[in-house]
Amino acid sequence: MQSFFSNKRLIILLVCIIILVALIGYSMSDRRSLSWPEQFVTDTVGWVQSAFARPAHFAAGFFENVNDMKNIYEENRILKSHLDEYAALQVELNELRRQNDELKAALDLTENKSLFDYTARSAIVIHRSPDRWNEFIGINKGRQHGIEEGMAVITSKGLIGKIKQVSQFTATVQLLTDQDRANRISAYIDAEKEKVEGFIEGIDEETGYLQFTKININAEIEEGQTVVTSGLGGIFPENLIIGEVVSFEADEFGLTQTAYVKPAADFDLLNYVLVIEREATTLDGNINPDDENYSEDEDSEDEGEEE
Amino acid sequence: MSRYSTFLVLFLLFIFEGTVFQILAPDQYGVELLFIPRWVFMVIIFIGIFRGRGTGMFYGIVFGVMYDVIHTSILGVYAFGMGFIAYLLSISIPFFQRNLLATVLTAIVAAAALDYYVYGMMYLLGVTSIQHPEFLYSRFLPSLAMNFSIIAVFAIPLRKWIRYVIRRGEEEEKL
Repeated sequence: MQSFFSNKRLIILLVCIIILVALIGYSMSDRRSLSWPEQFVTDTVGWVQSAFARPAHFAAGFFENVNDMKNIYEENRILKSHLDEYAALQVELNELRRQNDELKAALDLTENKSLFDYTARSAIVIHRSPDRWNEFIGINKGRQHGIEEGMAVITSKGLIGKIKQVSQFTATVQLLTDQDRANRISAYIDAEKEKVEGFIEGIDEETGYLQFTKININAEIEEGQTVVTSGLGGIFPENLIIGEVVSFEADEFGLTQTAYVKPAADFDLLNYVLVIEREATTLDGNINPDDENYSEDEDSEDEGEEE
Repeated sequence: MSRYSTFLVLFLLFIFEGTVFQILAPDQYGVELLFIPRWVFMVIIFIGIFRGRGTGMFYGIVFGVMYDVIHTSILGVYAFGMGFIAYLLSISIPFFQRNLLATVLTAIVAAAALDYYVYGMMYLLGVTSIQHPEFLYSRFLPSLAMNFSIIAVFAIPLRKWIRYVIRRGEEEEKL
């Protein structure tokens, strides 16, 4: 006790703090992929975690099932009432799909994969950060299974996040609720007449709803409208469901609107997730946004849509 | 064998914190309060008190690095914090070793210190923006209560096990 901090130890402590700052600086840099020691640790631990995750999910699922059984009668009645509606919608969907295919064939568009097409890979959740400062979950699929950074991750109900870091056999998913400033997803509101575009940017601390920002001030939004991914961000496919609009307001400068979105997926009790890879190729890196032709094209498209 | 049993137990606890407890945690079922488990760290403090400062700090750094790599995107925060607090609070004098209450209280103080240190770091680095009262009432105090009740229940078997490991280690050295 007497020599709590001798000179030598003080120097070691200072060196440690310098190393700490350097490490933080290194790991805060954007677009960093995992170094091989990190991959080794996450993969080794991930292997043990998967062994533990399955029985735990099974146990949790059992309680969940018991809970579900209580609500089954009520749910069944509501679902039955929706069933007639569903049949009508199905007919309409088939009709529209057929029409769409015919029109595409007429325009020779059959070769191109659209933004809708994707392949899904299922994965099991093996860990979640216990301190909840980061909203990260780990899944048991990695680069060896074809998973890349930035891919969308969904559950059966809707979008939950994107792949943040990939290791060889495991990957980390950043949930939509994470407070990271770079956690931004291009989305649109599926309104009657037009697409209202904007970004999903983290969560509102007070209400717990997702923030849907940068909406055109003139756009007409209604409560209850569905928010889906736009596929314009590059890696996500189009039309993955995010949630529905709960409320909206003009932002602090009155230049854009912000809507609050209740997520369709449940961020608690995640067990199985799907990692989405879209089949349409991503944009060329060569496109120059400052190029005159390019911007003109975009403008004319926008006008066309508004009409 | 007993040499590796410490690491093995801590590793299993680590898996329990991150995987099993997260699936069964109360906030997954709609409870507003967050319970952050610090079981690994409290056991490390126990080990530090009974087996000396160096051992405590060693395990603190090893599991801090694992925590950093697996659960956070920022390296070094937990490695430094757990190593440093384990070094400070591994008070291996006979009074602390004989008095179980003192040992338990040290472990709790260490867990509390770690929670505050991590909150400070995350606030500083812009990972979180929640204010202090919310942190205190919805995260810190529930976690503290949960960790305290866990360590209070398991303190006696834990001490027995650590003493057993120390004894076995000495016997193995003699052979």
